[in-house]
Amino acid sequence: MESDSQLVARVQSGDQQAFAELVRRHSARVFRLAVSILGQEFVPEAEDVTQEVFLKVHHAIASFRGEAEFCSWIYRITFNQAVNLKERVRFRSPHEDETVLYSAASGEPGPDRQAETAQRDRALAECIRTLPEVYQSALRLYYWLGAGVGEVAELLGIPENTAKSYLHRARQLLQGMLKERGYSCD
Amino acid sequence: MTEMEPREVGIDNLLRRSMTGAVPSLPTDFDQRLMRELSRGSQPLDRYRRILLAGYGVTSVVTSSVVMHGQGLNWGAISGMIVGPLALVAAARWAWRAAERNSRT
Repeated sequence: MESDSQLVARVQSGDQQAFAELVRRHSARVFRLAVSILGQEFVPEAEDVTQEVFLKVHHAIASFRGEAEFCSWIYRITFNQAVNLKERVRFRSPHEDETVLYSAASGEPGPDRQAETAQRDRALAECIRTLPEVYQSALRLYYWLGAGVGEVAELLGIPENTAKSYLHRARQLLQGMLKERGYSCD
Repeated sequence: MTEMEPREVGIDNLLRRSMTGAVPSLPTDFDQRLMRELSRGSQPLDRYRRILLAGYGVTSVVTSSVVMHGQGLNWGAISGMIVGPLALVAAARWAWRAAERNSRT
Protein backbone atom coordinates (compact mmCIF):
# COMPACT_ATOMS: atom_id res chain seq x y z
CA MET A 1 0.00 0.00 0.00
CA GLU A 2 1.27 3.45 -0.92
CA SER A 3 2.12 5.87 1.88
CA ASP A 4 0.38 9.22 2.21
CA SER A 5 3.51 11.05 1.07
CA GLN A 6 3.70 8.92 -2.08
CA LEU A 7 0.05 9.70 -2.79
CA VAL A 8 0.66 13.40 -2.14
CA ALA A 9 3.54 13.36 -4.66
CA ARG A 10 1.23 11.76 -7.23
CA VAL A 11 -1.46 14.38 -6.58
CA GLN A 12 1.17 17.10 -7.00
CA SER A 13 1.94 15.72 -10.42
CA GLY A 14 -1.75 15.88 -11.34
CA ASP A 15 -3.07 12.41 -10.47
CA GLN A 16 -6.68 12.80 -9.31
CA GLN A 17 -7.02 9.10 -8.49
CA ALA A 18 -4.36 9.56 -5.83
CA PHE A 19 -6.39 12.39 -4.31
CA ALA A 20 -9.49 10.17 -4.31
CA GLU A 21 -7.46 7.59 -2.37
CA LEU A 22 -6.39 10.24 0.18
CA VAL A 23 -10.04 11.24 0.60
CA ARG A 24 -11.07 7.61 1.05
CA ARG A 25 -8.35 7.13 3.67
CA HIS A 26 -8.94 10.24 5.74
CA SER A 27 -12.54 11.40 5.30
CA ALA A 28 -14.02 9.36 8.16
CA ARG A 29 -11.48 10.63 10.70
CA VAL A 30 -11.73 14.22 9.48
CA PHE A 31 -15.50 13.94 9.96
CA ARG A 32 -15.09 12.45 13.46
CA LEU A 33 -12.83 15.32 14.45
CA ALA A 34 -15.25 17.90 13.02
CA VAL A 35 -18.20 16.28 14.81
CA SER A 36 -16.26 16.16 18.07
CA ILE A 37 -15.75 19.91 17.88
CA LEU A 38 -19.19 20.92 16.64
CA GLY A 39 -21.17 18.43 18.72
CA GLN A 40 -24.23 16.33 18.04
CA GLU A 41 -26.36 19.40 17.24
CA PHE A 42 -24.40 20.26 14.12
CA VAL A 43 -23.75 16.99 12.31
CA PRO A 44 -24.72 18.39 8.85
CA GLU A 45 -22.27 21.25 9.42
CA ALA A 46 -19.57 18.70 10.30
CA GLU A 47 -20.19 17.10 6.92
CA ASP A 48 -19.81 20.52 5.26
CA VAL A 49 -16.58 21.09 7.19
CA THR A 50 -15.26 17.74 5.96
CA GLN A 51 -16.01 18.73 2.38
CA GLU A 52 -14.47 22.19 2.79
CA VAL A 53 -11.34 20.68 4.33
CA PHE A 54 -10.75 18.44 1.32
CA LEU A 55 -11.47 21.28 -1.11
CA LYS A 56 -8.90 23.39 0.76
CA VAL A 57 -6.40 20.54 0.82
CA HIS A 58 -6.84 19.99 -2.93
CA HIS A 59 -6.26 23.68 -3.53
CA ALA A 60 -3.18 23.89 -1.28
CA ILE A 61 -1.59 20.49 -1.86
CA ALA A 62 0.81 21.85 -4.49
CA SER A 63 2.48 23.89 -1.76
CA PHE A 64 2.52 21.04 0.79
CA ARG A 65 6.21 20.27 1.32
CA GLY A 66 5.87 17.29 3.61
CA GLU A 67 7.54 18.96 6.59
CA ALA A 68 4.70 17.60 8.73
CA GLU A 69 2.78 14.36 8.25
CA PHE A 70 -0.06 14.73 5.75
CA CYS A 71 -2.60 13.58 8.34
CA SER A 72 -1.38 16.10 10.96
CA TRP A 73 -1.70 18.84 8.35
CA ILE A 74 -5.22 17.84 7.39
CA TYR A 75 -6.35 17.46 11.03
CA ARG A 76 -5.01 20.90 11.85
CA ILE A 77 -6.98 22.38 8.94
CA THR A 78 -10.08 20.50 10.17
CA PHE A 79 -9.70 21.74 13.73
CA ASN A 80 -9.35 25.37 12.64
CA GLN A 81 -12.18 25.12 10.12
CA ALA A 82 -14.55 23.51 12.65
CA VAL A 83 -13.70 25.97 15.44
CA ASN A 84 -14.27 28.90 13.06
CA LEU A 85 -17.59 27.48 11.99
CA LYS A 86 -18.58 26.86 15.60
CA GLU A 87 -18.04 30.55 16.33
CA ARG A 88 -20.37 31.42 13.46
CA VAL A 89 -23.14 28.92 14.32
CA ARG A 90 -23.01 29.57 18.07
CA PHE A 91 -26.24 31.57 18.07
CA ARG A 92 -28.03 29.47 15.48
CA SER A 93 -30.64 27.02 16.74
CA PRO A 94 -29.28 23.48 16.53
CA HIS A 95 -30.70 20.75 14.27
CA GLU A 96 -30.87 18.51 17.27
CA ASP A 97 -30.64 19.25 20.95
CA GLU A 98 -27.38 17.86 22.29
CA THR A 99 -29.15 16.52 25.32
CA VAL A 100 -30.32 13.62 23.09
CA LEU A 101 -26.67 12.63 23.06
CA TYR A 102 -26.75 12.43 26.82
CA SER A 103 -29.54 9.89 26.80
CA ALA A 104 -30.66 8.63 30.15
CA ALA A 105 -29.92 4.98 30.71
CA SER A 106 -33.07 2.91 30.32
CA GLY A 107 -34.40 0.99 33.25
CA GLU A 108 -34.14 3.85 35.74
CA PRO A 109 -36.69 3.18 38.47
CA GLY A 110 -39.62 5.57 38.58
CA PRO A 111 -40.45 8.77 36.68
CA ASP A 112 -38.95 11.01 39.40
CA ARG A 113 -35.59 9.32 39.13
CA GLN A 114 -35.76 9.51 35.34
CA ALA A 115 -36.55 13.24 35.42
CA GLU A 116 -33.69 13.80 37.83
CA THR A 117 -31.29 11.89 35.58
CA ALA A 118 -32.46 13.83 32.52
CA GLN A 119 -31.92 17.08 34.40
CA ARG A 120 -28.42 16.05 35.44
CA ASP A 121 -27.60 14.99 31.88
CA ARG A 122 -28.78 18.39 30.63
CA ALA A 123 -26.56 20.09 33.21
CA LEU A 124 -23.66 17.89 32.13
CA ALA A 125 -24.20 18.88 28.47
CA GLU A 126 -24.21 22.56 29.46
CA CYS A 127 -21.06 22.18 31.53
CA ILE A 128 -19.26 20.44 28.66
CA ARG A 129 -20.13 23.34 26.36
CA THR A 130 -18.32 25.75 28.68
CA LEU A 131 -15.04 23.80 28.58
CA PRO A 132 -12.17 24.85 26.28
CA GLU A 133 -12.56 23.52 22.71
CA VAL A 134 -9.78 20.92 22.98
CA TYR A 135 -11.27 19.49 26.19
CA GLN A 136 -14.73 19.29 24.63
CA SER A 137 -13.33 17.61 21.56
CA ALA A 138 -11.26 15.15 23.61
CA LEU A 139 -14.29 14.24 25.74
CA ARG A 140 -16.62 13.71 22.77
CA LEU A 141 -14.01 11.67 20.91
CA TYR A 142 -13.28 9.49 23.92
CA TYR A 143 -16.70 9.01 25.51
CA TRP A 144 -19.12 9.49 22.62
CA LEU A 145 -17.25 8.46 19.50
CA GLY A 146 -15.36 5.65 21.23
CA ALA A 147 -11.87 6.80 20.23
CA GLY A 148 -8.91 5.52 22.21
CA VAL A 149 -6.41 7.92 23.80
CA GLY A 150 -4.07 7.30 20.86
CA GLU A 151 -6.67 8.41 18.35
CA VAL A 152 -7.63 11.45 20.46
CA ALA A 153 -3.95 12.43 20.51
CA GLU A 154 -3.51 11.91 16.79
CA LEU A 155 -6.62 13.86 15.81
CA LEU A 156 -5.82 16.77 18.10
CA GLY A 157 -2.15 16.73 17.11
CA ILE A 158 -0.86 16.31 20.64
CA PRO A 159 1.22 13.67 22.47
CA GLU A 160 -0.69 10.84 24.16
CA ASN A 161 0.23 12.06 27.63
CA THR A 162 -1.21 15.47 26.82
CA ALA A 163 -4.43 13.81 25.62
CA LYS A 164 -4.61 11.91 28.92
CA SER A 165 -4.08 15.10 30.88
CA TYR A 166 -6.76 16.92 28.83
CA LEU A 167 -9.24 14.15 29.69
CA HIS A 168 -8.16 14.20 33.33
CA ARG A 169 -8.49 17.98 33.56
CA ALA A 170 -11.84 17.95 31.74
CA ARG A 171 -13.23 15.38 34.18
CA GLN A 172 -11.99 17.41 37.15
CA LEU A 173 -13.56 20.58 35.79
CA LEU A 174 -16.86 18.84 35.08
CA GLN A 175 -16.95 17.29 38.51
CA GLY A 176 -16.46 20.71 40.09
CA MET A 177 -19.09 22.36 37.90
CA LEU A 178 -21.67 19.65 38.58
CA LYS A 179 -20.97 19.87 42.31
CA GLU A 180 -21.50 23.64 42.19
CA ARG A 181 -24.89 23.02 40.58
CA GLY A 182 -25.78 20.53 43.26
CA TYR A 183 -25.43 17.29 41.32
CA SER A 184 -23.58 14.24 42.46
CA CYS A 185 -21.56 12.19 39.98
CA ASP A 186 -22.46 8.82 41.49
CA MET B 1 -8.81 3.54 29.38
CA THR B 2 -6.88 6.49 30.87
CA GLU B 3 -5.36 6.27 34.32
CA MET B 4 -7.54 8.17 36.74
CA GLU B 5 -7.74 9.06 40.36
CA PRO B 6 -10.36 7.20 42.46
CA ARG B 7 -12.44 10.36 42.83
CA GLU B 8 -12.70 10.61 39.04
CA VAL B 9 -14.41 7.23 38.74
CA GLY B 10 -17.85 8.76 39.43
CA ILE B 11 -17.61 11.38 36.68
CA ASP B 12 -16.07 8.80 34.33
CA ASN B 13 -19.02 6.47 34.86
CA LEU B 14 -21.45 9.34 34.45
CA LEU B 15 -19.86 10.36 31.14
CA ARG B 16 -19.91 6.76 29.92
CA ARG B 17 -23.59 6.36 30.90
CA SER B 18 -24.63 9.72 29.52
CA MET B 19 -22.79 10.10 26.21
CA THR B 20 -24.46 7.22 24.45
CA GLY B 21 -26.15 8.97 21.52
CA ALA B 22 -25.92 7.44 18.04
CA VAL B 23 -22.52 7.95 16.44
CA PRO B 24 -22.96 9.77 13.12
CA SER B 25 -21.04 8.85 10.00
CA LEU B 26 -20.50 10.34 6.56
CA PRO B 27 -22.92 9.39 3.79
CA THR B 28 -21.60 6.44 1.80
CA ASP B 29 -21.43 8.49 -1.41
CA PHE B 30 -19.46 11.34 0.23
CA ASP B 31 -16.21 10.54 -1.61
CA GLN B 32 -17.89 10.45 -5.04
CA ARG B 33 -19.78 13.71 -4.35
CA LEU B 34 -16.57 15.40 -3.27
CA MET B 35 -14.66 14.27 -6.36
CA ARG B 36 -17.54 15.45 -8.59
CA GLU B 37 -17.51 18.80 -6.79
CA LEU B 38 -13.75 19.08 -7.30
CA SER B 39 -13.83 18.34 -11.01
CA ARG B 40 -16.78 20.72 -11.51
CA GLY B 41 -15.18 23.50 -9.49
CA SER B 42 -11.60 23.43 -10.70
CA GLN B 43 -11.54 22.47 -14.38
CA PRO B 44 -13.20 25.49 -16.05
CA LEU B 45 -11.26 27.89 -13.83
CA ASP B 46 -7.93 26.19 -14.65
CA ARG B 47 -8.68 26.23 -18.37
CA TYR B 48 -9.68 29.90 -18.21
CA ARG B 49 -6.54 30.80 -16.25
CA ARG B 50 -4.32 28.91 -18.65
CA ILE B 51 -5.82 30.63 -21.72
CA LEU B 52 -5.49 34.04 -20.05
CA LEU B 53 -1.87 33.43 -19.04
CA ALA B 54 -0.91 32.05 -22.45
CA GLY B 55 -2.53 35.07 -24.17
CA TYR B 56 -0.72 37.48 -21.87
CA GLY B 57 2.60 35.67 -22.42
CA VAL B 58 2.34 35.63 -26.21
CA THR B 59 1.28 39.31 -26.36
CA SER B 60 4.14 40.44 -24.13
CA VAL B 61 6.74 38.36 -26.02
CA VAL B 62 5.60 39.71 -29.42
CA THR B 63 5.41 43.32 -28.17
CA SER B 64 8.81 43.28 -26.46
CA SER B 65 10.44 41.55 -29.48
CA VAL B 66 9.12 44.21 -31.86
CA VAL B 67 10.21 47.03 -29.53
CA MET B 68 13.69 45.54 -29.01
CA HIS B 69 14.09 44.98 -32.77
CA GLY B 70 13.04 48.61 -33.29
CA GLN B 71 15.88 49.61 -30.91
CA GLY B 72 18.38 47.89 -33.21
CA LEU B 73 18.90 44.47 -31.51
CA ASN B 74 19.20 41.49 -33.86
CA TRP B 75 16.72 38.58 -33.68
CA GLY B 76 19.30 36.16 -32.21
CA ALA B 77 19.93 38.37 -29.17
CA ILE B 78 16.20 38.99 -28.76
CA SER B 79 15.47 35.21 -28.80
CA GLY B 80 18.24 34.64 -26.23
CA MET B 81 16.85 37.33 -23.94
CA ILE B 82 13.35 35.84 -24.09
CA VAL B 83 14.12 32.13 -24.02
CA GLY B 84 17.02 32.36 -21.50
CA PRO B 85 15.00 33.43 -18.42
CA LEU B 86 12.21 31.01 -19.32
CA ALA B 87 14.72 28.16 -19.52
CA LEU B 88 16.17 29.22 -16.17
CA VAL B 89 12.72 29.18 -14.52
CA ALA B 90 11.95 25.75 -16.02
CA ALA B 91 15.32 24.39 -14.87
CA ALA B 92 14.88 25.76 -11.33
CA ARG B 93 11.39 24.25 -11.14
CA TRP B 94 12.67 20.89 -12.37
CA ALA B 95 15.54 20.95 -9.86
CA TRP B 96 13.21 21.88 -7.00
CA ARG B 97 10.85 18.99 -7.82
CA ALA B 98 13.75 16.56 -8.09
CA ALA B 99 15.06 17.69 -4.71
CA GLU B 100 11.57 17.25 -3.21
CA ARG B 101 11.33 13.74 -4.62
CA ASN B 102 14.77 12.82 -3.26
CA SER B 103 13.99 14.18 0.21
CA ARG B 104 10.83 12.05 0.38
CA THR B 105 12.48 8.79 -0.66
